Amino acid sequence: MQHVRNIARQLTLIILSVISLYPVWFMLSTALKTSQNYTLNPTGLPLHPTMGNFTAVFADWPVLTWMRNSLVATAVSVVISTVISIMAAFAIVFGRAKGRETLFRSNIALMAIPPVALLVPMYMLMVSAHLINQLPSVIIFYTGLLIPFSIFFFVNFFREIPEELVEAAYIDGAPHHRVLRSVILPISGASTVTLVIVNAIFVWNELLVALVFLQSNSSRTLMAGLALYQGRYVTNEPLLMAAAFLSILPLTVLYVFGQRFFVRGLTAGMGK
Amino acid sequence: MKSNYPSMRARWSRNRIITKVVSVLCVAAMGLGVAVIPTATQASASGKTNINYWFWGESDIPGMTKWMQQRITTYEKANPSVTITLVPQSNTTIISSFQLASQSKTGPDVDTQWATLPTLLPALQGEVTPISNYVSKSEMSHWLNTNENTIGNKVYAMPLYLIGVPLVWNKKLFVKAGLNPNVGPKTWAQFLADCAALKKHGITPLGMGNQDGYFGAWMFAIYEKQILNSINQLTQGVANVGSSQAKLLASLKTMYTMLSGLIKSGYVNSNVESLSLNQGWQLFPQSKAAMSFTTDGNVLAWAKAVGEKNVGVTRPPVWGTGKLASTYDTTQSSDEFLASWSTNKAAAAKFLTFLHTTANMVALNKETGAFPADNRFPAKDITDPLAKALDKLDTSGTSVWLENDIPPQIDSNADLPAGQLITSGSGSPAAAVALWKQQLQKWQLQQPTQFTLFKKWATGS
Amino acid sequence: MSSASVSLDSNRPRAAAPTTRKVRRRRQWWPYGYMAPVLIVLGVVFGYSFVEVVHYSFYAGSIGSLVWVGTANYRELATDPQFIHSMFNNFKLLFTVPIVTVLALAIALMINTAFRGVRQYRAILFLPYILPATAMGLSFSYLLQGNGVLDALLTKLHVGFLIHDWLGSPSWVMFSIGGVIVWQQLGFGVVVFSAALLAVPAETVEAARIDGANWWVVQRRILIPQIRRIIEFFVILQAIIVLSSVFTYVYVLTGGGPAYSSSVMEFYIYQNGFENGSIGIASAGAVVLLVIASVFIALYLWVRIRAAKDTR
Repeated sequence: MQHVRNIARQLTLIILSVISLYPVWFMLSTALKTSQNYTLNPTGLPLHPTMGNFTAVFADWPVLTWMRNSLVATAVSVVISTVISIMAAFAIVFGRAKGRETLFRSNIALMAIPPVALLVPMYMLMVSAHLINQLPSVIIFYTGLLIPFSIFFFVNFFREIPEELVEAAYIDGAPHHRVLRSVILPISGASTVTLVIVNAIFVWNELLVALVFLQSNSSRTLMAGLALYQGRYVTNEPLLMAAAFLSILPLTVLYVFGQRFFVRGLTAGMGK
Repeated sequence: MKSNYPSMRARWSRNRIITKVVSVLCVAAMGLGVAVIPTATQASASGKTNINYWFWGESDIPGMTKWMQQRITTYEKANPSVTITLVPQSNTTIISSFQLASQSKTGPDVDTQWATLPTLLPALQGEVTPISNYVSKSEMSHWLNTNENTIGNKVYAMPLYLIGVPLVWNKKLFVKAGLNPNVGPKTWAQFLADCAALKKHGITPLGMGNQDGYFGAWMFAIYEKQILNSINQLTQGVANVGSSQAKLLASLKTMYTMLSGLIKSGYVNSNVESLSLNQGWQLFPQSKAAMSFTTDGNVLAWAKAVGEKNVGVTRPPVWGTGKLASTYDTTQSSDEFLASWSTNKAAAAKFLTFLHTTANMVALNKETGAFPADNRFPAKDITDPLAKALDKLDTSGTSVWLENDIPPQIDSNADLPAGQLITSGSGSPAAAVALWKQQLQKWQLQQPTQFTLFKKWATGS
Repeated sequence: MSSASVSLDSNRPRAAAPTTRKVRRRRQWWPYGYMAPVLIVLGVVFGYSFVEVVHYSFYAGSIGSLVWVGTANYRELATDPQFIHSMFNNFKLLFTVPIVTVLALAIALMINTAFRGVRQYRAILFLPYILPATAMGLSFSYLLQGNGVLDALLTKLHVGFLIHDWLGSPSWVMFSIGGVIVWQQLGFGVVVFSAALLAVPAETVEAARIDGANWWVVQRRILIPQIRRIIEFFVILQAIIVLSSVFTYVYVLTGGGPAYSSSVMEFYIYQNGFENGSIGIASAGAVVLLVIASVFIALYLWVRIRAAKDTR
């Protein structure tokens, strides 16, 4: 009985794993085929794998520019939002000022606001600031969208820090920035990495804002570029799949090595 | 489970390493960002003229983009102070991208748009600078079909090529279905009979795609036209002049009923609704569909796949009885114009006229088979019999491409989805017409300025 | 923010009662300095936008030619079949929430023991959740196309009657989009529930076993009730996601078609505001979306506060 149950479980999980991975496999196997091979047999193995589609993507598409833009938008907005959220969370947990609890609570509500609701006013603002087609336009928006969760995350983490640690530093006469830097930050490393990863995934994967704010080819992010070129290259499935595969590669590689951080960050606080 | 975890110590040190790696990566990316942002802004200040060109044409004429890229390379070599960035567009982005760009007055220096209203309506709103401001009259006198983009004495855009939209058929598949391979359908009854015969032999009669709405839009362009006596009937109806709109809507219903009949009879590939027009077209060169409506450029490209002797072309079978039913469908299709916010208009116009030099026009025809929109191109150069047949169709009498005469928003929001209602079988012809009506009203309400400009244009000239 | 952003905490006593900190005499000024940067950014991105989105909703026309129309946009929305349909599609997608929840819970219970490969399975199931919807949508658009890969597979399995034009048929298209959403969100649920189940004290389960409860009773009577709070929270979170973060799927898979049949509120706002340039009606749509979302946000705050009280 136990044996049968084990086999049934393994079988179910294998089927589920195949369903989970198939779209990725389809992407990769198609990317390795020539157009003719794909038309003849879309689902077959790439028996004569070719790197031609990947070289074509790099040669014909500004895919390196898009990757650089994605990287810059991700890095800048994640770093800024993390730094200023750490400061704010520090103030919320260890400071004594009116309104900090209100700020914390409103952040919780802001986490659930649909970004599309902010899109029109932000667009108008960026138009008048002449920031359309410039990376700072999305960086500002993303930074704002990342802050609520970041504050929430750090406040919860800081509240776990033993008070004695902080108080001892204050008694020694350390100024606030010193307490933050030499008491709080050294023990926040792993948590910060977790948060950085969660936020980086969001920015790297974001489409709607990038699509609207970045309309010139040289300023597009990878996702916006991919979505725009979809229509133009729709009849060249292998080429499109090669580009799509390149866009999922960085996250997948990071995931394979730092899976713990992904799981912990994305489920932060939900279980425990 | 527990034994799977590394020891606490190893975990701790791995945390440290990963923390360090991630911090280094972040700093590096930040550094890259700081290094990149200034260079991006400096480029425009360095005295180099950068022309941003949003280009479309590949779905009309396969090979067009490659031709354009080669022209750019040549031009940049001869004019080292100019760089041209080509951004390929698709059917689905050509209108929306420019609409979006014109709101922020940023984006392309040169844009490609379909002729007439998709070009002229932005022009009326001040988003397009007439190319005739920058190009001499003698040069423009060689361009063909400039009337498609003229208001008063201003020409707003430059044509590159002319295309017609014929019906193309696969002679081999016609033989299989017991049809005469050398005669294409001329009347609607013949067309339906051919479809029925093909279907009976298990062959998909018509291969098209409507995921992007363009099969429906083409049926509008070809067959709604055949009911009308003049283009005014359409534009006045859109402008809601008198009782013209009701009449227009009634004629649309007739056209959609016909389209619905084709779908219900199974004469169009069953997955028409999940393939884009470009994808649906691929059924023809793959010999999976016996007929298609397509452009000259595609006919010539497909002839290479199925063999030129197996391809027949004719004008779309006549269905309607309006005065326009006898016209053909040649148009410059897309045109090239200067965005009013561009700071490089003169340089951009210079590059555009460079495309019209005889050498480049001849190359365009040689490399893609397209017919250049320039009378300096020696038409006797066309020797290929299929190309000759197409050229003959294109130059025989008057031509109208009706889709060019509706405002782009109506095209995207009414024309395209209304056709999808029919091809997906989810809406009746009445529902399609109701959609048109609702979208016409919405446009009038939501874009009052555009509507007024359009009405003036539709009734004034 | 998207999916990643919401979580349950505050079942820690200290979080709920910060005022019990010891050194709490004078009011301090430095915290304002530390909070200033986020206040400025939040003020611009959220504060300014909330005010302006309401403001713009009373105008028609595009940038540069805005015309005051009062509440006409809201009346237009009430009768606009595309908007109503888009809203209904968002509601239809709510059906993915119980599906994801039940499936994820079942899988989490199934893998709630140590056995060979459990970590690998969990890692594989979680992978779709982190992958960009844009890229995966492209892959799915070929898989789900009429006569595409899925249909070919169904033919091979001799279940040809199941073949559909998954993206081209208005009656199937929302199922297909919902399916892709389930595909992407499932692993998240599995991991969340697994973590919650691991936290259930082993003694509780043991005690029940000794009392003679069988496997099924243990799951139903002990484990599921123990993680009820997490389940509730997950459900609300998923509801918020399908209401407000499904644009990418629609844009990449169908472009809202055929004939608006797969449009959702986000797509409606995008199309009207940016493709048509009708800023006003897009803003009015955004206001309606905010109102609907706020119902769920209120629910979500209520669940959180209750959870915090529970643990006190």
